[in-house]
Amino acid sequence: MTKPTVIVVGADKGGVGKTTVARTLLDYFTAHHVPTRAFDTESPKGTLKRFHPDISDIVDVTSVADQMRIFDTLSTTDASVTVIDVRAGLLSPTLRALRDIGFLDAVKKGQLTFVVFHILGSSIASLNEIEETSTFAADGKYFLVKNFINNTSFFEWDQATHSSYFKKLKDAVEITIPKLNEMAYEQVEVASVPFLTFVANKGLKGESANYSFVLRGYVRHWLGNVWGEYDRTKLNEIVASGGVAPANTPRVQVVSRS
Amino acid sequence: MMQPTPLYIIASPRPRMGKTLIALLLLEFFRQSGRPVVGYDLNPREPALTNRLPKLVWPIDITETRGQMELFDGLIADPTSTKVVDLGYGPFDEFFTVMRQIGFVPEARRRLIEPIVLFVTHPTAATVRSYAELQRRFAATFVPVHNESVSLMFAREDFPPTRAESGVIRIPRLSPIVRGVIDRASFSFSSYVTEQPGGSTEIHQWVAQIFTEFREFELRLLMGKLAGSLGGAPVPERKDRRVR
Repeated sequence: MTKPTVIVVGADKGGVGKTTVARTLLDYFTAHHVPTRAFDTESPKGTLKRFHPDISDIVDVTSVADQMRIFDTLSTTDASVTVIDVRAGLLSPTLRALRDIGFLDAVKKGQLTFVVFHILGSSIASLNEIEETSTFAADGKYFLVKNFINNTSFFEWDQATHSSYFKKLKDAVEITIPKLNEMAYEQVEVASVPFLTFVANKGLKGESANYSFVLRGYVRHWLGNVWGEYDRTKLNEIVASGGVAPANTPRVQVVSRS
Repeated sequence: MMQPTPLYIIASPRPRMGKTLIALLLLEFFRQSGRPVVGYDLNPREPALTNRLPKLVWPIDITETRGQMELFDGLIADPTSTKVVDLGYGPFDEFFTVMRQIGFVPEARRRLIEPIVLFVTHPTAATVRSYAELQRRFAATFVPVHNESVSLMFAREDFPPTRAESGVIRIPRLSPIVRGVIDRASFSFSSYVTEQPGGSTEIHQWVAQIFTEFREFELRLLMGKLAGSLGGAPVPERKDRRVR
């Protein structure tokens, strides 16, 4: 069997574009024919689920039952990649939960591939979060994502301060998500389809749509740049390098922390 | 074989190169030929082309996304009408940036629309560089236009056409007095020629010469395509007069 990959997309701050990044990842794996499933932790109403209803489920990542739904099924699901879009403020608690249930130990033993996409905000507080969250991803891949899609200017970051944080993280890789034309972004929101589907001028059920060619062009160009970043960081290889899992891959057992 | 519908983009990275006049002449030429044609004026602050042909030309501001949608979505929406875009000096960079980002040229070709950039030349190094750079970046057909009212010099090697058979379009010089007449907002080339047929004024000769240039240019492109599709010998390159 293929070694499963878990990708956690999160931030401790809201409105930094976590779900947008998760959506680009799902499109990226779709384009690369990598079987993928997603969990949207914006319970009870998930944004990710709205765009990718066929492969997404809404979960409450703090509940044991839903933790079991995600992690106990890693070795049995057809999907080789599991993307978890973690609600604002829940990144650190989620990572702690992963440690507590033995997930991080399984990563350390090479039984699972673990990737964290930490979406950064513009404030210095964002840099402080890095120190804590990075420790949980020591045996996985840790990506720091500067997301410009929401016009974030990262104005509070002094270059020296920024560098001092990055020096501490020898394995962290920085990813830049460029800005997407506002009207194009808005139209994809209205259409409620994956970016790829919008580019292909299709509706959610595969029917022909009538989106603006200009806006589709903007989305295609932007998505190409985002995927360029993923290719630069060899994301597809990281996922593929999961290769074959060692025999007797243990199921990660979820235990209650209460 | 179905022929693609041309989309003419009159462009130059320099101001005051006679782009609007060339766009106006092209529109009048197609109108006189009875072909459906639509014009786009990308000079929203001074829409001179719109003012001359308000029923035929749409003024558009492409600095806004809405304007870009209006223009580029409109250009590919109807593949039956010939389109003429008067690309002002102001939105020159923006136009080509958007065109590249949205992948306009391949999409237009897919819909049987052939983008043809009529690039008004000038001997300055920046203009020569701009032409070479655009040709490198876009798979569209680039055709140099030598407007003799703007520059007497034209170095063929600086502005090689994308397709050898297209040659150069030459716009001859007009005397200043006649120039004053044609610059009047109410003046129409095709009406003038139609209402005073067989005349021998400078305007008659000038318009006839330019319309012949356009006709021959279209014919050369068509012949080139036919020769290419039949696998025959390429159409000989045109020998331009008054070319250095």
